[in-house]
Amino acid sequence: MLSKLKTNIVWSGLFLLSYCNYAHKLFSRKFLYTFVIVIIFSGAAHAETEKNYNQSTIQDFQLHGFIALGLIDVDGSDFVNDEEGLSPDLTELGLNTSYQLTDTVRLAGQVVYLNGGNRYAKGFRVDYALLDWAAYTDESWQANIYLGRFKNNHWLYSSSRVVPFARPSIILPQSVYFDGFRDIAVGSDGAYIKVSHSNDKLGNFDFSLSYGKSPISDKQTEILLGDSAFGKTIQDYELHGSVYWQPTFSQWRFGLSLLNSDFHYNQNQDFDVFYNAEFDFQFYTMNAMYEGEYWEFSGEIYQQRFVTDGFYVPGFHKDSTGQGFYGQTRYKVTPNLTLLAKYEYFYLDKNDKDGKKLQETTGVPYYFGFNNDVTLGLAYGVSSNMEVRAEHHWVEGGGRLTPVVVPDPQKNSSEKWTMWAIQFMYWF
Amino acid sequence: MIKHLYLSILLIIACFMPAQLSAIEIIANLKVPDNSLSQSQLRRIYTMRQLRWSDDSVITVFVLPRQHDLHNRFAKERLQIFPYQLNRIWNKLTYSGLGVAPIIIDSEKELIQAVINTPGSIGYIYEKTLASIQPTESDKEFDVKDDQQGNQGVVNVIKIED
Repeated sequence: MLSKLKTNIVWSGLFLLSYCNYAHKLFSRKFLYTFVIVIIFSGAAHAETEKNYNQSTIQDFQLHGFIALGLIDVDGSDFVNDEEGLSPDLTELGLNTSYQLTDTVRLAGQVVYLNGGNRYAKGFRVDYALLDWAAYTDESWQANIYLGRFKNNHWLYSSSRVVPFARPSIILPQSVYFDGFRDIAVGSDGAYIKVSHSNDKLGNFDFSLSYGKSPISDKQTEILLGDSAFGKTIQDYELHGSVYWQPTFSQWRFGLSLLNSDFHYNQNQDFDVFYNAEFDFQFYTMNAMYEGEYWEFSGEIYQQRFVTDGFYVPGFHKDSTGQGFYGQTRYKVTPNLTLLAKYEYFYLDKNDKDGKKLQETTGVPYYFGFNNDVTLGLAYGVSSNMEVRAEHHWVEGGGRLTPVVVPDPQKNSSEKWTMWAIQFMYWF
Repeated sequence: MIKHLYLSILLIIACFMPAQLSAIEIIANLKVPDNSLSQSQLRRIYTMRQLRWSDDSVITVFVLPRQHDLHNRFAKERLQIFPYQLNRIWNKLTYSGLGVAPIIIDSEKELIQAVINTPGSIGYIYEKTLASIQPTESDKEFDVKDDQQGNQGVVNVIKIED
């Protein structure tokens, strides 16, 4: 059985190598929207034409979605809006579908609408649109190959960060789940292989490997680099791998992920403040999660390396390593009421943890060199598919405020800032 | 003396215990080839890590809603997993495109009907409900000579081995 699995994977790998070279040309925005709409309508039509009530139709075609609306108020930074007042910019809508074409091939797609103020670009986007091929399956092994736009499934909450009720808090730990980097980190266009193994003695293992790239919009470039960057940012590739292990009948789960990605910036030939540049980004995480009857603990430790060549002036070179961690706990007071507490600690340069060198060399205030956050929150389940959440953040530092490359100390003039949010969510 | 004290304590505890709960049975469609599963296999099926029966046919998994008492008992007693953990696994599959989650059926009655109608399906019901729809083992033995075809029942009862 194992040799068959290996043969399948090798064969698939050869196909994927050639496919990945052309993937980015295939996945235009229009193509992805069409893909999702076609699945929805073909599945609905198929269900409609079934004259007799048949459960297998329900299994073949599934439609799910979510609506989340809320209020958010930030005091002391432009994290959500420039005015710092109470804002309704906490809207997240999603609709997804899955259609089983054959026993081994499935189509799936999700469209989301997001409005998070300054956190990310407002509007509709195709969250994922993929073909899932169950290349191998038996009692203890599963190997799936996903082609198209797939979700980042490598970090603890990366695949569920877009789904309000599936993530642990309204605002996730920004050092790993940085909203300014959301559209690049949330997934890729390319190929993703997942191999799962279930072993009665050793437990469950999940191995994932993905290769692809994300389109970077002008708005995303502005969020990251500021409004004086008139050129284009392009992701060359992203190679991402992870391993998860859950011991047999254990409440614990452990994970490890590695990411390597290259970007480049093409300066605007007519006018630009910045120059052609190459960026190399590496990101490593280790995580653990405990799920008890009343208590939940989770945490991630991570390190990032960011190498810049060019950009500020031709020949410029900078190699910085950032590190951090977060730990959080959730406690179920009643089956419907859950409390949350989280602590997060992060700095952009391990040789400049307090940001003093940053201030001395660039004039950017020291507090843009780190980001610490203490969060308290609660979630109340109104019914099986309705929930209300509220949380308060006490933040130190501007290390995760946008724009990242050229921080704005005028809008973010204080080291300490606070934020609270309340969000109502419904899903089906 | 100690023995009496022990018995008294047991009696007091028994007085505060709720009425005996009905056991939970695992049922499958009659065409499903497997008659028994290990507890690990059952857990793999409900966490969507085993998708095929032993004859390679596709497993269709049915569940009751999140707040249904039978669902919560099934998760804790038969799968040894907390219901919220199952939700998390299923939500991840559904909303990230990675896979398909079990199909939620509103009531126990509809779940039985779904299992009867869907080849390859699996579900769970109370033992007392099963007794009302299916002949028991003793009924089968008694009637075996009279009618071998008609006593197979409407669903396949899966034995779970520890």
